[in-house]
Amino acid sequence: MRFSCNFSSTLFLPFSYSMSTLQYNRLCFHLKLAILWMLFSGAVFCIHVFASTTEVETNSDAGKFIMKSYFENYESLHDSSFEDFMAHQLSSSLCQGIPDNWNVGVRLSVRELSLVGEGSHRHLSSSIRLQIAAASIPKLPAHLCEVIVIQRLPLGVFADPFELQNPHKHKAFRDIAVFGDTNLELPSFQSNRSAVEFHIDAGFNILFMQNNGTEFNLLLPLHARYQPLDESGYSVVEIGEPDMLMRCSVEGKQHKQSCLFMSPPNEKAKSTSATVAWKIPAGMKAHAGFVSVITFVTALLSTLSIVYASMFLSGTKVSKT
Amino acid sequence: MISLKPRSILLISAIFRVGLILFGEWQDTHVEVRYTDVDYLVFSDAASLMASGQSPYKRTTYRYSPLLAFLLIPNSFTSRCWGKFLFSASDLFVGLFIRIILKQRKVPDDLCTYSMLIWLFNPFTFTIGTRGNCEPIVCAMILWIIICLNNGNVVQAAFWYGLIVHFRIYPIIYALPIIIFLDPCFFRSGTKPLLSDWTSDQGKARQINSELTDKCVVSDALKSTFTRSRILFGLISGTVFLLCTGFFFRLYGWEFLHEALLYHLTRTDPRHNFSIYFYHIYLNYERELSVLEKLISFLPQFIVQLVLILCFAKDLVFCFFVQTVAFVAFNKVITAQYFVWFFCLLPLILPWSNMKLKWKGLCCILLWMGAQTHWLLWGYLLEFKGKNVFLQLWMASLLFLAANTFILIVLIRHHNYGPVFRQHTDLKTTKTT
Repeated sequence: MRFSCNFSSTLFLPFSYSMSTLQYNRLCFHLKLAILWMLFSGAVFCIHVFASTTEVETNSDAGKFIMKSYFENYESLHDSSFEDFMAHQLSSSLCQGIPDNWNVGVRLSVRELSLVGEGSHRHLSSSIRLQIAAASIPKLPAHLCEVIVIQRLPLGVFADPFELQNPHKHKAFRDIAVFGDTNLELPSFQSNRSAVEFHIDAGFNILFMQNNGTEFNLLLPLHARYQPLDESGYSVVEIGEPDMLMRCSVEGKQHKQSCLFMSPPNEKAKSTSATVAWKIPAGMKAHAGFVSVITFVTALLSTLSIVYASMFLSGTKVSKT
Repeated sequence: MISLKPRSILLISAIFRVGLILFGEWQDTHVEVRYTDVDYLVFSDAASLMASGQSPYKRTTYRYSPLLAFLLIPNSFTSRCWGKFLFSASDLFVGLFIRIILKQRKVPDDLCTYSMLIWLFNPFTFTIGTRGNCEPIVCAMILWIIICLNNGNVVQAAFWYGLIVHFRIYPIIYALPIIIFLDPCFFRSGTKPLLSDWTSDQGKARQINSELTDKCVVSDALKSTFTRSRILFGLISGTVFLLCTGFFFRLYGWEFLHEALLYHLTRTDPRHNFSIYFYHIYLNYERELSVLEKLISFLPQFIVQLVLILCFAKDLVFCFFVQTVAFVAFNKVITAQYFVWFFCLLPLILPWSNMKLKWKGLCCILLWMGAQTHWLLWGYLLEFKGKNVFLQLWMASLLFLAANTFILIVLIRHHNYGPVFRQHTDLKTTKTT
């Protein structure tokens, strides 16, 4: 029975003799369906190019992230550069003369810092306390205030930006972003430092603040990079306390603007000694010599075995002669 | 044994995979450990970027052809499971193609059924598609190429071959065996090549096949090296590859070339994986490896591939299988998804193997799984318990290579080697003169 299958079917179905005509017709039909579906997808793709907005968020708001401004001025993250940045450039954004003196008694401190978990994937748990002098609270535009936490990470660890974008896990945060070296694959001696910036809505907490302040708990998932070689077999990485600020949008003379509240410098100095240490396994240089030799010898032995088997133990002409 | 029809097997497999995909969605939402593969999220993000007119390479760690992102564009506007359904469907196609290829060689129904079941109900393979890994598509295309070659359809085989090499690169190792396989004795213009059928008396088949091979070798003069089929195959597959690569290079520039092609050719990952080379690479990562060192690490792979091709090219499927096993075992980086590359070929060679499941077959399975589990235990201690067990992990990878080598040798020993094609009867008269 002659059946009509168009060009596309002829291109993709060469084996009619091995199937019954009915099966062949069915397969033709399904294949046409598949081709139509692909064309439909292609058409929708073209429509989408003109219509849709990007699904993957890029933080385009220029003034939003403090670390973004940092990286506009500096190439990589160093403690000295960062402290310099915080001291000089941010001081121009501090809330001054609002309402009468700049110090509304904002105190941000780290109550607890710890590493949770084992192995190469852990969580940095930090508990942050916000205290504001009671008299100042009514003067603050509480619903327009957010707490900004900047966690600088050392060379040996990184945060996965895509993991942090998971809305299911990080509902409590207004924004989270990772800045600096976000390459997930390079070992630490070939990468640069990074920092994670959290923005937490503080409105509710300020309005219902108790005398001893309010607390925010952060759980940051971190991953260890491959460490430089070490004689002891381990490399210790230290993670310090985060830097914290509060930012509020206030009514300025002409338009709304945001300004920052920072803890007084002498208050900050008290708690800078707290760090957490993470012991990460590292390769040992002493192994280098014999590991390379034994690796290549093993590869050679495997090769010879396979060559011998192919030539002399198989059913091929070579093995017969 | 209840006799199962292929249609029933495929239906049950399909329902099972749909169930797994739905379970995977539930697990992702409610359990800490995700069911979905991290790579699937990478593909989906890249597809979203492409849907909005941007380069998929803006997504870090996306190292595939833009074709894959294109296939997953419906993830953005239908369901985020679209990709998983696509990969699982390819998985089912692999099962179907296994049956088709075996039926082409007149393998009895019961053996065909067992072969289909080995693929469709292998826990490793059904999780790979439902977790969102794209390897089933690659396997389906490879098997389709085999079907086309068995039917003598060189043009179509070449088209798909060019496409698959663009998509995944590793099938380039099949180029030489295919060229050898397109033997002018069997591939003559105007006539379809005759397949040699499976026979239960494997010893007799071996004898006949080797006689035919001897006769054919005599007539294989130097002038028949560059035949119409071979030139056609080379030209078409090369053109398809260059067109695809050129088109995407035009769209996405050097980023595409680096991420999708060059990265795979030069990849040396110091992070722990099944390869015996990982610790050597990590210990020497801070210094540049010399040309001699790089050559020494490439030489075992090159020698094994060459010898396997020269010995087994005429039995194309078996050649593909042993090449793939060796390629994966000697590669500088081995991840679990690479195993699928030879799992899809295993059901195709088993009908020609003398090895019985009891007890040699079972021993091989247990040995391979045991070596893998042993490595995974040390890997768990290193990655999830933070213990320095690099040396033990490296030794586990040496053991894994040893296990792979042993199993490969056993399979070679028990395989009834025979060319896929036999001669047309009219040729016999010309040979006798």
